[in-house]
Amino acid sequence: MSLIQAGYLEYEELAEVQTLPDRERYAQGPVAVIECVQEIPCNPCEAACKSSAIRIGEPITNLPVLAADKCTGCGVCVAKCPGLAIFIVNKTYSDTTASVAFPFEYFPVPEEGDAVKAVNRKGNVVCDAVVRRVMNPKGFDHTPVVTVEIPKELADEVRGIQRGQKG
Amino acid sequence: MSEYFSDDMLVCRCEEITAGEIKRAIAEGARDVTGVKRRVRAGMGLCQGRTCEKLVQQILCAELGLAPDSVGHSSARPPVRPLTFGELAEGVVE
Amino acid sequence: MLSRDIVIIGAGPAGLAASIEAGKAGADVLVADLNMKPGGQLFKQIHKFFGSSEHHSGTRGTDIGIRLLKEAENAGVEIWLRSAVIGIFPGNKVAIRKDLGDGKTELITLLAKKIIMATGASENVVRFKGWTSPGVMGAGAAQTMVNVNHVKPGKKIVMVGSGNVGLIVSYQLMQAGCEVVAVVEAAPGIGGYAVHAAKICRAGVPIYTKHTVVEAVTDEDGCVKEVVIAEVDGKFNPVAGTEKRLEADTVTIAAGLKPVVELPRLLNCDFSYHGLFGGWIPLHNKNMETSVAGIYVAGDSTGVEEANTALEEGRIAGIAAAESLGLIPADRADARKKEIWGRLESLRMGPFGEKRLKGKEAILKEYKERIGLPSVR
Repeated sequence: MSLIQAGYLEYEELAEVQTLPDRERYAQGPVAVIECVQEIPCNPCEAACKSSAIRIGEPITNLPVLAADKCTGCGVCVAKCPGLAIFIVNKTYSDTTASVAFPFEYFPVPEEGDAVKAVNRKGNVVCDAVVRRVMNPKGFDHTPVVTVEIPKELADEVRGIQRGQKG
Repeated sequence: MSEYFSDDMLVCRCEEITAGEIKRAIAEGARDVTGVKRRVRAGMGLCQGRTCEKLVQQILCAELGLAPDSVGHSSARPPVRPLTFGELAEGVVE
Repeated sequence: MLSRDIVIIGAGPAGLAASIEAGKAGADVLVADLNMKPGGQLFKQIHKFFGSSEHHSGTRGTDIGIRLLKEAENAGVEIWLRSAVIGIFPGNKVAIRKDLGDGKTELITLLAKKIIMATGASENVVRFKGWTSPGVMGAGAAQTMVNVNHVKPGKKIVMVGSGNVGLIVSYQLMQAGCEVVAVVEAAPGIGGYAVHAAKICRAGVPIYTKHTVVEAVTDEDGCVKEVVIAEVDGKFNPVAGTEKRLEADTVTIAAGLKPVVELPRLLNCDFSYHGLFGGWIPLHNKNMETSVAGIYVAGDSTGVEEANTALEEGRIAGIAAAESLGLIPADRADARKKEIWGRLESLRMGPFGEKRLKGKEAILKEYKERIGLPSVR
């Protein structure tokens, strides 16, 4: 199924279009996964990154390129991306779990400790998850970034949570 | 044209003109949006064809096998937005 | 008779940007707009915009609207709201039904040295059985309801059209608490940006490509209770036997926009047909001037694009109009316009923008060949 029919790419397909973190980088802790796959005129992620880890350059239709070695996994780009297409994946959360951070612009905004249902790119529930962090400072301009803890093997699959449910 | 587009389907809401009436106007010789309007009043109501112009164009294209740029368009004449006679009468003419 | 250096019709991004440039140059500017609030569609764009930092990218449309209004105020621009331009007559006489408050209006004719038309676009409809029923509306109308008036158009919604408008409004309807049952797209592929489609998919909304709505089934009160969709063939005609019935109370239609062009038609401006830009549009040159001298266009009314391109075109029109009044020296105006055309080019790049870049180039070329210099009429 191509992007233009499905509306999204699976992780393996994504790797053909985007520079994704490699195994070594994932082993070092949280890192940005940029799921921006079309050349559209947009570059706020580049300026958002304080570590200069995201490069778009000229023309602004270039796809963003992540220098994974510079990325600290802070999550500022996640809130800044107008396409809501950046995630922070931490495959070292614990021995058996990973964490995924994603933008979440729906009500109610979940709270730390909430038990939620994690969904994949298609919106299907793939596992139970626990909300570990909710960042929503003024600078994020109403785009809360939610981090959930999930089974490690689903780190490349989980990209959000089911809406409208708490606890 | 598909069975789903029945002749009793409304096209011009303001003047309540159906697809069938528009097709009949075309059969009688209408060749563009103005021709349809003069025959059956589609596009002559409150919105002046802002909504139905495109639908009338589509029917003209389908019935006559014409391209979208050869079936005309709504004409414009003042007032281009609705105005009451009272407003018109009180206006200063210079 | 009242007079102004420049009268601008429409207080959306194009009109406001034009007013700011012209006002800053010292022109006496009046903007007339039909709506209760200025900003055009900006105040219902609650999402963060794409673009570069010059385009306030990453900023929500509403906040860009607030910024533009402030700039217009600082530039001394006068804005008449709830005030419809009902015609433009020979000698640049602009007839405006001005709102005086308390339901009172006055018809005012005003002499304009230059006129900038930034009247935007209106939504296309799609016809299917029941398309005139309550509960069927434009996606833009639904967006105004949730984001401006804070009213849900319905509980369960079927979105027709998967262009950026269809995808963004679907997302915003869900943000407002509605359920989007499906996005239906007649074309074989999704029309809008993949990032917008991905948001919709993550929310679990199915996108049916090669499908169309064939009927909005109504209840005894005439309100929508069910929506029937079906696959389409190569000619976009529904295929019998492929129907699916979806429980829904609302159908929102995002089937593209067409430029609002009554005023340039009244002025006998030269037009050209460009399906890519929504249909018939008034031709313009690099000053955004129409075939009629002193009459300018900007934004969606001269080809449907988006807010950022409308803003930039508005700036060019405002600068060019002020320049022609002798308020900006030619060399400075040229340098500014060149810089803005450069930014427009960067907005019209990539797989989505390329066609529009070529289309706009074709419009400029057609103007040069057919019209050459604008004439006084």
